[in-house]
Parts: sequence; C-alpha cells; structure tokens
Amino acid sequence: MKRPADLAYWIDEVPPPGVVILSALQHVGLMCSLIAIPLAIVAQAGLAPVQTSNLVALSMLVLGVTTIMQTLQRGPVGSGLLAPSSFTGGYLMPSLMAAKLGGMPLVFGMTILGGLFEAVLSRGLRYLRPFLPPEVAGFVVMLVGVGLGSLGVRYVLGVDLPQPANHRELAVSMLALSVMVGLNVWGRGNGRLFCALIGMLSGYVAALVLGVIGQDDFVRAMDAPAFRMPRIGAMGWSFDATLIVPFAIGALAACLKTVGDLTICQRLNDADWSRPDLGGISRGTLANSIGSTLAGIIGTTGLATSTASIGLAGATGVTSRRVGHATGAVLIVLSFLPQFAELLSIMPRALTGATLMFVAAFVFVSGLQIIASRLLDVRRTFVIGLSFIGAMAVDLSPGYFRGLPAALQPLLGSSMVTGMVMAIVLNLVFRIGTRQTQRLEILAGQIDPRALGEFIDGCGASWGARRDVIERAKFNLQQSIETLAFSGVANGAMLAEASFDEFNVAIRVSYDGAPLELPEQRPTDDEIMESETGERRLAGFMLRRFADRVVATHRNGRSTVAFQFIH
Amino acid sequence: MQLEEHSHGPATVIAVIGRLDNATAPALGDRLSQVLQTRRALLIDLSRLDYISSAGFRTLLVAGKQARQSDAQVVLSGLSVQVRQLFEVGGFLKLFRVCGTREEGLSALH
Repeated sequence: MKRPADLAYWIDEVPPPGVVILSALQHVGLMCSLIAIPLAIVAQAGLAPVQTSNLVALSMLVLGVTTIMQTLQRGPVGSGLLAPSSFTGGYLMPSLMAAKLGGMPLVFGMTILGGLFEAVLSRGLRYLRPFLPPEVAGFVVMLVGVGLGSLGVRYVLGVDLPQPANHRELAVSMLALSVMVGLNVWGRGNGRLFCALIGMLSGYVAALVLGVIGQDDFVRAMDAPAFRMPRIGAMGWSFDATLIVPFAIGALAACLKTVGDLTICQRLNDADWSRPDLGGISRGTLANSIGSTLAGIIGTTGLATSTASIGLAGATGVTSRRVGHATGAVLIVLSFLPQFAELLSIMPRALTGATLMFVAAFVFVSGLQIIASRLLDVRRTFVIGLSFIGAMAVDLSPGYFRGLPAALQPLLGSSMVTGMVMAIVLNLVFRIGTRQTQRLEILAGQIDPRALGEFIDGCGASWGARRDVIERAKFNLQQSIETLAFSGVANGAMLAEASFDEFNVAIRVSYDGAPLELPEQRPTDDEIMESETGERRLAGFMLRRFADRVVATHRNGRSTVAFQFIH
Repeated sequence: MQLEEHSHGPATVIAVIGRLDNATAPALGDRLSQVLQTRRALLIDLSRLDYISSAGFRTLLVAGKQARQSDAQVVLSGLSVQVRQLFEVGGFLKLFRVCGTREEGLSALH
C-alpha cells in the first residue's frame, strides 16, 4: 500500500483534533441525511412522533457502532477503512412493502433476516464473483442512486401526497440543494468540507422562517429531555415468507453496494492500487451485515456503507481511521440526546428530498464509474442496457406490472429488484457461447500487430475483463510474438491462447523452437545496445516483470511460454 | 509508425505516432542519429505512441548515448499511463529526462 500524494491525512495518520472533530461532524451530517430512508418507511407505517424520535435515536446508535466496527483492522470483522455506514436504498423498497403489509415489527424482523443473508454472502464473495461481475455490481449501485434520486424528487414535488408541494416547500428544497451543490462545486476550505451540513442547516432555517416546520414541532423538539436512553426492540418483530425474496435481493444489493464502496475506498487509499483486496472487502461486508442484523434487532432498517461519505473523504483528502472513530463516537453520543433526534425527525419532506437528490448524484456516478472500469462487449451492453430499461419500465408503468400474477409481485415490486434480477439472469444467459479460451494462429513471416491487439481486446471485451489487466496482457502477447518472430527462435506457426476465469487472465504462446529466455536480471544498457541478444534479453526481462507469473517449458522440440495476470 | 518533425528555436521536436517495434524502430533510429549530428537539443514527443517494444527502447538508448557523446540534450514528453508503465518496468525512467507535455519539454531544453 502506497500513500497517494493528494491525500491530506492518510488512513494511518492522525490529524489535529480540530480536523478530526469537524470532519466527523461533516460525516455525521451526511449520514444523518439518509435517516430520511427509515423516516420514509416510518411515514408508510404511520408511527406516533415519540416512536419516530426513538427510531431516529436507534438509527444513530447503529450507524455509530457499525462505522467504528468498519475501521477494525484485526480479526474477521472490519475492512480497517474510513467507510462510514448509512441507510441504504437497497432495503427501502422491501421495507416499504413490509411496512404496508405488517407495520414496523415486520420491517425489523425481515431486516434481521436480510442482515443474516448478507453475512452468508460476505463469506462466499469469492464464489459469487463469476455471477456478479463488477459491471453488475456497478449497475446495482447506479440503480440505488436512481432509487434515491427519484424518491428525493417525489418528496420535493410532493408526488403521491394529497396536496403537491407548495411554493414555500419548493423554495426550501431549492435553497438547500443550491447551497449543497454550490459549496461543493465552488466552495473552498470549510465551505466545501461542510457543504452538506451547511445546506441542511440552511434548509432548516428557511423551513422555520417560511413556516414549513410548524413552531409547535420546533418547540416540542426543544422541550425534549436533555438525555434519554433509546428504547431497544420496543415494537417487537414479525416475519412473512412472501417478503423473503425482496429482502434477500435488498441484502444482495446492500452487499454489492458495500463491495463497490470498499473497492473505491481501497483505491482511494493506495497509489499502487491494481485490484480489490477481497479479504478486506469480505471482512468489511461482514461488518456491515452485523450492522444490518443489529439494526433489525434494536428496531431500525438495514445498512450499507455510505458512498457519499467515501466520496466526501476523497474530495477532502481526509481518509484517516481516526475520523471513523470520532464519527462513530459522535453518533453514539447523539443517540442519547433526544433533542437532536427530535430535530431530525421533524425534518420537512422538502429538505429530505433535496438531501436525497444531492446524495443520489454521488451514488449514481459511483455506479457508472464501476461499470466503466470494465471492457463491455455487446453481450454486456445488453445485460446492463436491457436490465436498466426493465427497471425503468416498473417505475414508469406500475399499473401494468401490478396486474401481473401475484407470484411475480416480489420481483416486480420495485425497479431496483427487477433491474437486479434481470441483470443477474441476463448475465447467466449471455455466458452461453462465451468462449473462456480463445485461440489465434500466427505465422512468423506474417505478423499483423494490429490483429494481435484486436484479438486480445476482443477477448477482454467478451469476458468483461479489467482494462488495465488486458493492457498488460496485450503487451506481453505482442512483445513475445515480436521477439520470437524477429529473432528466428520460432519455426513456422505460433499458437496464441488467451483464457479467463474471473481471477486470472492467462496468455500462452506455443511454437516449435528453443525456449524464450526470461532473465530475472535486467541486461546492462551496453548489452542492450551492443547486440540483438541484449535486446532479446531485455524483452524477456520485461515480459517476466510485467506478468504476475511466468512459466517457460520445452518438450520434444516444442516450447511454451505462459503468462498469468491476476485479475 | 509516422514521424512528425518541427523546429522550435534551437530545439528539434520529433513526434512518434503509432507503434515503435522491430519493424519501425530502425527508421526512427536513423532519423534520430541524423538529427543529433547537427542539433544539440532534441525533444521526442511520445504522446501519440501506441506501443513500444524492446526494439524501441534500444533505439532510444542508442540515441541517448549518441547525445551524451556529442554533448546534446534529449528530453522525452507526453508518455501515456501504459507507456510510462513500460518505461518504469524496463528501468528507463531514470535514464531519460521525461516531461509531462511538449511545452514542458521545450522549457526544459531551453
């Protein structure tokens, strides 16, 4: 792991106390903005204000505990990274369905099951990888962004309410969103660092001044006691078999979002980053699954890592683990201060909607970036494109889908579930006919370098392999063929084979002739300049260094050189 | 491979476009050798280089040696991420003065 030059405080570094506290408050502000998700579920269930306030306190408690758990470096739990938790759109739609069917006890019970399912997934990430390639994971993150954004728009406009949003509510939304975006884009120093917090505070002040928050609500919030123990598990739990599929998919979405977020976080912290560290990611997803299970047990909804918080850490250059500890501690303390919980629970829909839109932009683009890290051929284009269209169809024509048989309803209840199921199924369907090993015959006297490049690019696109790995494989194929042909080592035709198994890209070149020399020491500059042998030894040295593993064999006059690149 | 050549005051700029391999390296080697016989400042712009093999590195190494012998300066510019990675793996980054852009390269020569 190498320290990136553009970070102000790296993962192991200790910033001054002021930076730690202010950075923690910023993360708290951003994380609390997604308390809008459990609040939306509460609105569906129609809870009393005191129950809502208790749920907010419990939400902060579980966010704090999980954020600290995520920073752990030893043992089976925790990625060791600053990757704060937040409530996830992945659990939103299943939870809304549960709230409608059986109220909050059913939401909590099913969230426990979802968390346990996430724990199982976290242990088997390695085996799931071929079925959930990064472009599908990125697609899920993107759908979460779309889901959050469309919920935000519905809140801002007052869609589905008896009265659409009035001009005062719209003014609160516009002001809060403008402050957040404006400070994030053009702000400097603390303004940019605390854009979300400042935007939310501006929205609260505007809502009070314009009467969007009633004076009575505000007075009630301020009249709350200074200290109160959150009541854990007060509403009980229940379970319903018809919700197992939606919650399993919600858990899968939360797990994939966490995998994507931790991948971004690892990349952010390592200037030499080349591939995800699956061990760290597995420990991180286990930490999140424990957080989700705990959320259901104490009485709130499921979690994932916060893409917006990770984006914030990258934008501010503060990725210190100390900030994670402080963020968790602040949240735990706040959960015992009911005035803060009351203030959050009276957050007007106009402000919740604006904050959701702000966060959704980060989440959506993060999904796009994960998709774009892979080479996409026509099969993968259809996997992503058709799944996105299917997901949007559920949102655009809900009436049509509600008319379909009841057995299909768990899959058609939300655009995210539909899109994700389609992506997984289409990914499996389009694996049919994909050759995991592809061959190309090359005649020594007729080398077409462009054809070699197109061959390996085509392989990479059909496998959905990472661009950087394919570029390295391309160099080794071209350099080895060039060396064998021009030095006269190979007699007659050479056979190139490229294969892929999600964990490795392998290139094998076999030919009649002597084995290719692959020295461990670089030839001297004079050796390289003085003879073709020196140049050939340089080629062999670079081929060895560029691959993660190299094997050269010779049997019965036929030689093979095999390069392996970890994917 | 294509070569584009320009003069900037006392410096000559040669842009290498396409692939620099066994088939194309001799042509570049000949041109670099000719330029270094008369000029004392040479910028090799690699921003449009798609691929470089050991033969290409050998050519650059020979040009560097010739420049040292004739007290001329050679600067490289515009290495893409992939090409830079090859320079690093082959141990060539420390042998040449490498600048991010052509403008930076020309400033370094003047």
